[in-house]
Amino acid sequence: MLKILKTAGLATALMTTTAMAAGHGGPYAEYAGTTLVVNFPAHPHYNAAIKVLPEFTKETGIEVEVDQLPYLKMRERQTLELAQDEGEYDLISYVVFSKADYVFADQLENLAKYFMNPKLSDPSYDANDLIDGYVQNIGVAGGQKGYLPGPTGSLFGIPFGSETSVLAYRKDIFEKHGIAEPETYDQLLEAACKIPEVEPGMGGMASRAASGHQASHAFLLHLAPLGGRVFDDNWKPIINNAAGVEAANALKTIVDCGPEGAMSFGPAEAANSFANGESAMFMDSIAFMPGFENPDRSKVVGKVGYAMHPKGVRRGSQTGGFGIAIPKNAENKEAAFLLMQWLTSKKGDLMVAMEGGNPSRFSTYQDAGLNEKFPFSATFGEALKYADPDWRPIIPTWGKINADIGTTMSKVLTEGLDIQEALDGVAERAEAIMSDAGYYTWQ
Amino acid sequence: MYTARANRLTPYMFMAPAAVIMAIALLYPLGYMVWGSFRDWNPSQTIGEAEFVGLKNYITLFYDPAFRESLGVTLTFASVVVVAEMVIGVGLALLLDRNIRGMSVLRTLFILPMMIAPVVVGLMWRYMYHPTVGTFNRTLESLGLPKVDWLGDHALMSVIIADIWQWTPFIFILALAALQSLPRSALEAARIDGATAWQQIVHIKIPLMMPVLIVTALLRLIDAFKVLEVILVMTEGGPGLSTEILALRISRTATEFRELGVAAAMSNYLLMLLLILTVGMFAVTKLQEARAARLARQVQEDT
Amino acid sequence: MQYDRQNPAFYALLVALIFMAVGPIVLMFANSFKLDVDIISGSSGLLFLPTIQNYETALCDILWYEPDHLDFCALKFGGAFINSLIIALVSTVLTLVIGCMAAYALVRFRFMGRDTASLTTLLVRMVPPAVLLVPVFGLWNNEFCLDKDGLIGGYIRDTFGGRGDVCLAGTHSGIILIYVAMNLPFVIWILQSFIVQVPRSLEEAAKVDGAGPFQVFFQIVLPLIKPGLAAAAIFTFRIAWNEYLLASALSDRNTKTVPILIVNNTSEFNVEWGVIMATGMLLAIPPIIFTLFASRQIITGMTAGAVKG
Repeated sequence: MLKILKTAGLATALMTTTAMAAGHGGPYAEYAGTTLVVNFPAHPHYNAAIKVLPEFTKETGIEVEVDQLPYLKMRERQTLELAQDEGEYDLISYVVFSKADYVFADQLENLAKYFMNPKLSDPSYDANDLIDGYVQNIGVAGGQKGYLPGPTGSLFGIPFGSETSVLAYRKDIFEKHGIAEPETYDQLLEAACKIPEVEPGMGGMASRAASGHQASHAFLLHLAPLGGRVFDDNWKPIINNAAGVEAANALKTIVDCGPEGAMSFGPAEAANSFANGESAMFMDSIAFMPGFENPDRSKVVGKVGYAMHPKGVRRGSQTGGFGIAIPKNAENKEAAFLLMQWLTSKKGDLMVAMEGGNPSRFSTYQDAGLNEKFPFSATFGEALKYADPDWRPIIPTWGKINADIGTTMSKVLTEGLDIQEALDGVAERAEAIMSDAGYYTWQ
Repeated sequence: MYTARANRLTPYMFMAPAAVIMAIALLYPLGYMVWGSFRDWNPSQTIGEAEFVGLKNYITLFYDPAFRESLGVTLTFASVVVVAEMVIGVGLALLLDRNIRGMSVLRTLFILPMMIAPVVVGLMWRYMYHPTVGTFNRTLESLGLPKVDWLGDHALMSVIIADIWQWTPFIFILALAALQSLPRSALEAARIDGATAWQQIVHIKIPLMMPVLIVTALLRLIDAFKVLEVILVMTEGGPGLSTEILALRISRTATEFRELGVAAAMSNYLLMLLLILTVGMFAVTKLQEARAARLARQVQEDT
Repeated sequence: MQYDRQNPAFYALLVALIFMAVGPIVLMFANSFKLDVDIISGSSGLLFLPTIQNYETALCDILWYEPDHLDFCALKFGGAFINSLIIALVSTVLTLVIGCMAAYALVRFRFMGRDTASLTTLLVRMVPPAVLLVPVFGLWNNEFCLDKDGLIGGYIRDTFGGRGDVCLAGTHSGIILIYVAMNLPFVIWILQSFIVQVPRSLEEAAKVDGAGPFQVFFQIVLPLIKPGLAAAAIFTFRIAWNEYLLASALSDRNTKTVPILIVNNTSEFNVEWGVIMATGMLLAIPPIIFTLFASRQIITGMTAGAVKG
């Protein structure tokens, strides 16, 4: 960090002199020398973003200090920080499910006034190029059901490091045993359990399964394509219907046919297992995929095929990841907006993507240079068409329900709890939570 | 030289700093916690803004299966750990209570595990338990034995083993110290009477060590309720709730579920449990002291 | 000193025990010098090419050169190490001074409230850090604050910068305060048993020579209980150095301690075993040094703490 700061300082000095020599300030001149404190998660996309930050400083003279935390810790930190009268952070990255909490507590700046401001808003920003599903899912709040797109929604954040799910599989193994690329869930599950039989020592599919958020994530990943939802339109839990049971069964099958120790996998362990060649498939966020093409970390470089999230009764890959937003209690809001705009501009998005980040723009996915460096970019662009913004509800009570699904699912996986019974329990507790929070007031 | 007044004030002046610090940083927070446990309180509110809900948090917890399971895990963990450590620690002490070369080296190296940060201990064991990379499974594999899913199927056992590794030395060292301070005369007398080594242990050594052993066990028991970091790093409470001890559940309730009121109520339950244990410890110690004194007198009279 | 001759089986047992106690630590030490590729691929044993790359990654923020294998310095271990050092040292010194005085008062004086004080000390010793989490989090963030427009608060903001009201949370002092409070009961408890052994006649003699109570305490009593102080210091330092939970609730980005850093790095996208082991090793080094050089004091302290029921 010290090094970054030092180079940044040098760059600032250079910038101010050139700016003054040029005679006009430009949009950034007023903010040159400001130091922004930003809160980013420890995540491949943000590692890539940090690599391009010196470029931002060089161009604008605005310095950036990054506080990088694991994403669940980051959320805890923000809960506290955003509640203060004056906060430390000028720009925060938030996990998509935090959107509800922060907007509901009135802790994020509405972005309209910044995009309206001619001094700040870059005319070549081209918001139409931003991937619409991501913007709706991550940035907009207040529409249908409060978290989905709709006429009453407005923009509080911009997707940055947003993700959908794709399936990574070992081309070589699949070819060797004549298994076809899984198109549907039936094929997926069949392949998952066939591999340990034909390829001893190798697990079928590596999946998250660890107790808590991870197990819940893994379950919801299958719930949407198999036709399920957590709530119906009246906020009644329907997680325990046939589709829910099928999704839980799918998860259990995958974990049972999975690699050694699969029950305690978090995303890192699951991705490592695939990268070490201990599992033949891995279905999770696109954020992990560039790592499989990195010879320092992966033993399967060049052997991996990428496919869309298989279809159940419908296609529905997850939408998740992060957005960036300006806290209400920030000190340098305008400069923070400039950074936000720069990072998500066509140029910024491409630079981050070239370092291994996840694009938020259609144009980036079509970029020839990127497709050459990361051959899977095209598949990802395709998968985005089916990204499902409603695969999990982003409401203020979600944290609690999510934790409950997670521990219950983990019990199903490890203690053999009956699935129907387990999901009935979840539904019952979820209904009580929803009732407490006032979701049935109008019924 | 001093006025009587100054003399009277001296002890208070010595006590004052400690009293002030403990009052503002221990007693006041504990009171604050009790107050907070009656509220529906989330981290973005100050306690004044939180709604008063009476005993609701306590009642919810009482019927909450997750809390009960976590309590069960805590009690299992604490009791298994203490019993196992006592048996192994005292056993080793009895076995190694001899004047042999290398004892001081052993004692020094034996304290290492408990001096190292719990976070690091958790880290080492998490590595050793790793399903594929870990030391244990590698060893099993090279011996041709089936692998064990340490932190999956057997998580609680694995966590208990790690704690036994870290804290058995504590009991070993205390038991050894107690053994070495036993009155030689009693042991001599027993030997002259022709008692076997086993009889000496059962009839003389253990009864005489009892007061120290009980205090040690209770200290360990209270400490076992404080364990958090090792488990946090190794399993984060999973899989399911199988290793989620109360301390971890309190921390998760406060940070992940954002329910400070419930977490406070849970802390109170834990505190009450520990209070009962501590009071029990006092009572037992006093009782034992009296008995030991009597026993020692008897032994003295006998010789 | 004459040693007894023993059955070789005892020596075998001794060696086995030492191996079990130290094995995991040696393993971590060895792994901290391996590349991740070596750790994962299982070139087990001690045959590998040692590298200090993991330590370079860990310490990148205080190295004078930029390691080649890093794009940017993500892990600010150096800063955390300094925070840990400040917090552990200051809280140890404070705890010892304050605890010593209190223990002395409890042993040597009869005064009103003595029994209450003694009993309270004993009772709060059992309080687990997890129980303090919620109240300390609330108090340190919201109640123990100075208004930023007030006299002292304004001065602090002007001098040190920062934003918002001046609160204990996020400062070194906040963490130090709770550590001192947490450790006091134990220190008072342990030191009492050492102070009792100081012969009263020495103190009386000094008083006759005209020394005041504080002089007696600092010049006569303190030097005599040095072993006790050493033991208490090691235990206090150990807790302050190793503690994670409360520090993680109270620290901000500038006051993170090493255990927080390690926990943060165990739960994320790439478990970089080598680097984590290196950070773990760096955290473990001070306690290991203490143990090797002061094991006698530690054992004395442990026995004093437990035996005096």
